[in-house]
Amino acid sequence: MTGPGWLSVVTAVAGKDLRIEFRTRSRSLTMAGFVVLVGVLFNFSIDQALVRPQDIASGLTWITLILSGLIGVGRTFAIEKEDGALAGLLLTPAPRDAIYVGKVLANFLLVYAIVLLTIGVFGLFFRLDYGNHPGALLGILAAGTLGFVALATLFGALTASTTLGESLLPILLFPLLVPMVVYGASASGRLLAGRPVAEVAGQGRMLAAFAVLAVGAGAALFGQIVEE
Amino acid sequence: MKARTGWLGITLAVLGAMASVGTLWMVFFWVPTERTMGVVQRIFYIHVPSAWVAFLAFGIVAVASGVYLWLGDERADMAAQAAAEGGLLFTVIVLTTGPLWGKIAWGTYWTWEPRLTLTLILGFIYVGYMMVRSAAASPEQGKRFAAVVGIVGALFIPLIHMSVYWFRGLHPDPVILNPEGPTADWEIQATLYAGLLAFTLLFLGLMTLRYGVERARHVLELREAA
Repeated sequence: MTGPGWLSVVTAVAGKDLRIEFRTRSRSLTMAGFVVLVGVLFNFSIDQALVRPQDIASGLTWITLILSGLIGVGRTFAIEKEDGALAGLLLTPAPRDAIYVGKVLANFLLVYAIVLLTIGVFGLFFRLDYGNHPGALLGILAAGTLGFVALATLFGALTASTTLGESLLPILLFPLLVPMVVYGASASGRLLAGRPVAEVAGQGRMLAAFAVLAVGAGAALFGQIVEE
Repeated sequence: MKARTGWLGITLAVLGAMASVGTLWMVFFWVPTERTMGVVQRIFYIHVPSAWVAFLAFGIVAVASGVYLWLGDERADMAAQAAAEGGLLFTVIVLTTGPLWGKIAWGTYWTWEPRLTLTLILGFIYVGYMMVRSAAASPEQGKRFAAVVGIVGALFIPLIHMSVYWFRGLHPDPVILNPEGPTADWEIQATLYAGLLAFTLLFLGLMTLRYGVERARHVLELREAA
């Protein structure tokens, strides 16, 4: 192949998406606002006489990741529709899987930044104690975020070209997120409760498998979705 | 519809219907009432074969989708579509009979029991599969999109299965497919096998007929275009 190398396509696509985001801040600002406001609403949804916020914070974090991620990743191909940007990208000799991985990388960095904000905001709102194993918690969330973003980017490309648009995305995505929520919420919940890291190693491995499967399936099938 | 496809479909469906009637006779008049669960256990002979067909259909969807994306053969897509519609029908039967039995055996209509949960998720994947097909901008795009959803769904089903199992287990232990061999009485086994045969034939018949309809539509479209 005489075109650009695989890795340089990945970094070029990711760099382009991140540069657009850095200049417009359209997705990051809406996602950040969403996360803070959802934290406020969650706070008022918990009757503290019945349940401690710390006990359900782990699950709320994952649900917030999914919902805020939908806002961000759902837009990623709406941007590409303007001025036929994606069509131009596909005319280049860039391999389809490299374009996909580039988009996943950019979306991952964006969503993970929002996850970090969620951790901070929820920690403040719900008085969570991250003191025990912050590294393990961040690793668990990174694996979950990567798997989520990989699936959401694949199905986002798909739903963007349908008549139903982004409203179809949750229907396709949510059933496949069951393993991520099961293992992710359990692992982060146990870490927040101060349990040892060894107790969540199995969940961590399953989340990693989830992420690898999602990225692999996406890279293999993305070409079928963007093909004209 | 090609005459051969039509006759095959009708033959399979009629055989399946006859076997279903036979199974119903066995369920209501022949098989002895199970000792611990009582009469409600008889729903098992409808429930388990439906679940088998629901997952068989999903396997067909995944394989046919892969063949379609690989070779671009329209017939593979039609087979996938036909299997998905039949599969959703049997998924609905599983999700109806399961809670009816559960209300009496477990005291609740719904519980997050792994196999029930997995079947519910499977049903949602089927629904997404059909929505994508109908919401695509062009029929060709719908076929490719549906195939992608079918394949990704099949790739994730094992992981979903492991996770819901890990989350919670309450389902009765297998009485047929367990490592020590079947533990159920032979009448129970015979009735279950009759049900499996009946529903598999019925499903294959319905699928073949649905496939025939889709082929006929395809031929008609080609003729109109010409």
